[in-house]
Parts: sequence; C-alpha cells; structure tokens
Amino acid sequence: MLVMSRRQGETILIGDEIEIVIAHVGRSRVKVGIRAPREMQVIAREMKLVSDENLRAAGADASGLSHLIGRLHPRAVSPGGTGVSEGAAEFPQKIPGR
Amino acid sequence: MPVMETKNFGKISFEPDSELEFPSGLPGFESRRRFVAVRFVESDPIIYLQSLEDSDLCFITMPILAVDPGYRLRVKGEDLGQLGLTAARQPRIGEDVLCLAVLSLRESGPTANLLAPIVVNLSNRRAVQAVGPELEYSHQHALMPEEASVCS
Repeated sequence: MLVMSRRQGETILIGDEIEIVIAHVGRSRVKVGIRAPREMQVIAREMKLVSDENLRAAGADASGLSHLIGRLHPRAVSPGGTGVSEGAAEFPQKIPGR
Repeated sequence: MPVMETKNFGKISFEPDSELEFPSGLPGFESRRRFVAVRFVESDPIIYLQSLEDSDLCFITMPILAVDPGYRLRVKGEDLGQLGLTAARQPRIGEDVLCLAVLSLRESGPTANLLAPIVVNLSNRRAVQAVGPELEYSHQHALMPEEASVCS
C-alpha cells in the first residue's frame, strides 16, 4: 500500500478524475473530501461489507438450520443469556398460521 | 389479521401493528422496508426477519446478547434519528430496543454480523441496521467455534 503523509487542506490525486482532500484533522477523526465522477460509487468500506454480508445472509436456507439450533440452544438457556430473554420477551411472538 | 405467503414458512399471519418498518431498508436491500419477526418455540433463540414485500426474502437472526453477552451497542446519531430515539444517550438493549445479529451460514460454520446489528425501537417498531465503527466488531463473527467441534 502506498502511504502518503499529508497536512490538513492538502490534496491527493488518483488518476485524472479523483481528488481526495484532507479537509480536517481532529484528535481521533479525519474528515476527507472526495471528488469523483458521479458514476463512481463512494462509500465507507463497512457499508460495502454489510451489504455483501446481507446478500449472503439472505441466501441462507432456513431449513439448513436445525443442527445450528441444536448447538445454540444450550447456550441460550445458560445463565449468561438472561439479558436475552428479557430483551426478546418484550417482543410479541408471532404464531405461524399454518 | 393479514396473512403473508412465505417461501420458508408457508402462510404466516401477523398482527398489523407488529410490523417492523425500516425507513431506509437494509444495506443491499434498500427497497425492502416492511418486515415481521417470526419466532418458533422449537427454533428458539432464532428470530426470522421475514420481508412483507418479498416472500423469498428472510433473514435469520438471533438476539445479539445471545451471541455476545457483553455486546456494547453503539448507534450513530443519524440511525438514532431514523429510529426516533434521542441522540442524548445510547439505547439500552431490552429496554429501549431489540437488538438482533444477522446470521450467515458458511461452510466453516455459522457467523453473526456484530458490525451491523438490527436495532428495533420497541416503542414505535421502527428499525435500522446500524452499521458500527469498522474496527470494533466483526461482520463475520464465528458462532461458538469451540463448542461446535465438541458437540459434533
């Protein structure tokens, strides 16, 4: 990875079309300005990670879960999980209309 | 009572006021805004998040404290705004909000997304997937890797 040292207000160019401006340097945060072509998606990496993870999660087949539930269950009723049942108890249970 | 045809559960009926509203959808599913949480006694503690707009779309989740009893929820100001919660303090799991981890099934075993929990305001049923700071929690947290090998 190329590492460059920049001061507040200085700019980095990537190719002809992308400009990265170090807009503000705080104690634990840096504000970065990005100028890029409209068609180029600019998002924080964690948003991309979560989006990809959601796409994967949505493809999971609920029927493949039985062995997982078998494993989870002991943990869920252990004393360490008391906060859970409280939280979940606030939530009304849906009854499948099968 | 409204009835919804679903891929995984067949027909489910639900109370209209139990509907969860995601004002911005979820990352990757921005147009999916209405869900219901479905629980079955036999699959406890799993909570399924079934889309009311797409019968095929269902997330498998569980209460985040069941994954990590010490989980520290940190919701950004803009997400608190969407939930209709005050930005003055962080919401408390179980009191102010329901907090769920989305599960993925991988070859290496199930993982939970602790980076971006689903947070539901218990008082108005508005929900967001609250993406946290990247360095704090993993989006692919292995669920009990040691127990898995012991139990299998």
